[in-house]
Amino acid sequence: MSTLQYLADGFYIAMQWHNLLYAFIGVLIGTAVGVLPGIGPMSGVALLMPVTASLTSGMNAEQAAASALILLAGVYYGAMYGGSTTSILLNTPGESSSVVTTLDGYQMAKQGRAGAALSIAAIGSFVAGVFALVALVFLAQPLSDLALEFGPAEYFSLMLLGLCAVSGLGGKSMTKALIMTVFGLLLATIGIDNVSGVARFTYDIPYLYQGLEFLTIAVGLFALGEVFKTILENDNSSKQLIKVGRILPSAKDLKQSAAPIARGSILGFFVGLLPGAGATLASFFSYILEKKWSKNPERFGKGAIEGVAGPESSNNAASGGAMIPLLTLGIPGSGTTAILMGALLMYNVQPGPLLFTDHPQVAWGLIASMFIGNLMLLALNMPLVKVFAKIIETPPHFLIPSIIAISVFGVYAVQITTFDLVLLVFCGLLGYFLSSNDFPLAPLVLGLVLGPMIENNMRRALTTSNGDFTIFLTKPLSLIFLGCAALWLIIPLILKGRGKEVVINEEA
Amino acid sequence: MNKVFDRYSSVCFALVGALFVIESRNISTSAYGSEVGPNMFPMGLGIILIILSLRLFWESTRGKAEGSAATGGKSLQYKRFLTIFAATLLYVYLLELVGYVIMTFLFLFVSFKVMGSKSYFKTTLVSFAFSVGVYYVYVHLLQGTLPGFPVWLGF
Repeated sequence: MSTLQYLADGFYIAMQWHNLLYAFIGVLIGTAVGVLPGIGPMSGVALLMPVTASLTSGMNAEQAAASALILLAGVYYGAMYGGSTTSILLNTPGESSSVVTTLDGYQMAKQGRAGAALSIAAIGSFVAGVFALVALVFLAQPLSDLALEFGPAEYFSLMLLGLCAVSGLGGKSMTKALIMTVFGLLLATIGIDNVSGVARFTYDIPYLYQGLEFLTIAVGLFALGEVFKTILENDNSSKQLIKVGRILPSAKDLKQSAAPIARGSILGFFVGLLPGAGATLASFFSYILEKKWSKNPERFGKGAIEGVAGPESSNNAASGGAMIPLLTLGIPGSGTTAILMGALLMYNVQPGPLLFTDHPQVAWGLIASMFIGNLMLLALNMPLVKVFAKIIETPPHFLIPSIIAISVFGVYAVQITTFDLVLLVFCGLLGYFLSSNDFPLAPLVLGLVLGPMIENNMRRALTTSNGDFTIFLTKPLSLIFLGCAALWLIIPLILKGRGKEVVINEEA
Repeated sequence: MNKVFDRYSSVCFALVGALFVIESRNISTSAYGSEVGPNMFPMGLGIILIILSLRLFWESTRGKAEGSAATGGKSLQYKRFLTIFAATLLYVYLLELVGYVIMTFLFLFVSFKVMGSKSYFKTTLVSFAFSVGVYYVYVHLLQGTLPGFPVWLGF
């Protein structure tokens, strides 16, 4: 069957009424998550993972996985749309990939062009999202075919590359990022070893035999961690919200932003493909590019529409691009995609080259639903942007405790043990202390998700080579991956040594 | 950048690494049909974690304590945080004993008040709606499992 045939089947799944509903709920919540400061895409997806698990519990495994993924992915790219709203209206980015949008977006809003900035952000995000999806459709099959050639040695090296890339760009200190990665990998070894069946680090505690639950840790670290941070640090000062005026952009605005949207889409897509470099980095690059490209760069920072259009398109394209390594290689390149992968694994669906042949419903249904979701988002964001701006005014004293209650409900609904709830609370505490001291959390989650797979592949490779470690260096592809991994760690170090600013990807 | 935190955390991580290394010596060193046992991966990682912690410790002793101003500027609301943290712990421990609806209502009511909700009426309304709403939708509509009302209440 050709790719288009598969895609048509995907649309057939995505157009089922319950999946349309899930996509709609996903993008709606995603936009809200993006708008609300304090919950980023990562904690939003983590928070909703248990909720979707219970929503889809009645369906058969394949359909449940497709529906859950449709909802969760909707949250992910919905947040990319929503994040721009607060950047523009409040000068406070809803999530880190919209930080650059504040530079020109807020200035535009001050000049009374808030509506134009918001709608250009929505249009740019839509164009970029669709572009990334089309590229995903055509790249998925060839990449999967390529990945099928990989043996365990290649996989191990590729995963190592992913981990190194995320750690290299992961935060202010690479040492801390690496510590978090290794810590995540170590936590993943707790439980029954699935190669030999030996119990490791369980100390006869029955809860530990199936390992620490990924879901509990992700919700604790991200959702509760951020909540604790808000409780401790927020001084409840409310900012003045700028009124949204005319929503439709003028013909001049559209003309000025067409080229930046196109450039941002392409740039963002390729940045998103790279492991470790997520939406935040893409939006930074795009802003720098637009400034360099512009005939009069002095307009930037004073309300240039290009400075909104470019970065907003590229962060959305990056979130689409990041789905490619996740779906075709089974390797998440960022914290949010790691959580999506955790969700897939919860449904016994292994992302990777076989996903497209073993679970075409899930893979193509998800891709098709992303087309529909992007359309929904455009429809939601243009006329309803004023409604979403109201969400910002949700009183935090109701919001914050509710997030704790949702986390507890979600984890209990899936795990049904007090042990996991206690673990959840302590992970929240850990998450707060670690992230407030510049320990990035994304590498930890990535380590936790990739841990079992990286270990399996390493041991399978070593078994075939009778314990000889040079197998990773003698296979050419594996050697290339390892080389890239090393470069990813060394180049930032050299650049820092020379005193250059290294752009880093906070959050993911 | 808090150098003191970095120093303590590097010691903690080194201890965690050491724990994994020591404990992985008790795991079998070979698996059937393979020379590579289940002990190797955690042991190797433990060693890497110790090395990285040493590097973090070294980094934290180098360099001046320039970060103290950054965190000192913000006033942290410890009282509010500790109250909510304690409430969360109680909530979690008593959830199975007292039941979902009652515990969630109490937890939300207390933390809404602590977070600065003014009106008693609104606070009661929102916490009631949340706890009963979630319980009704999840248990009655979706047939899920949540701890119900305690037996000693009599219904």
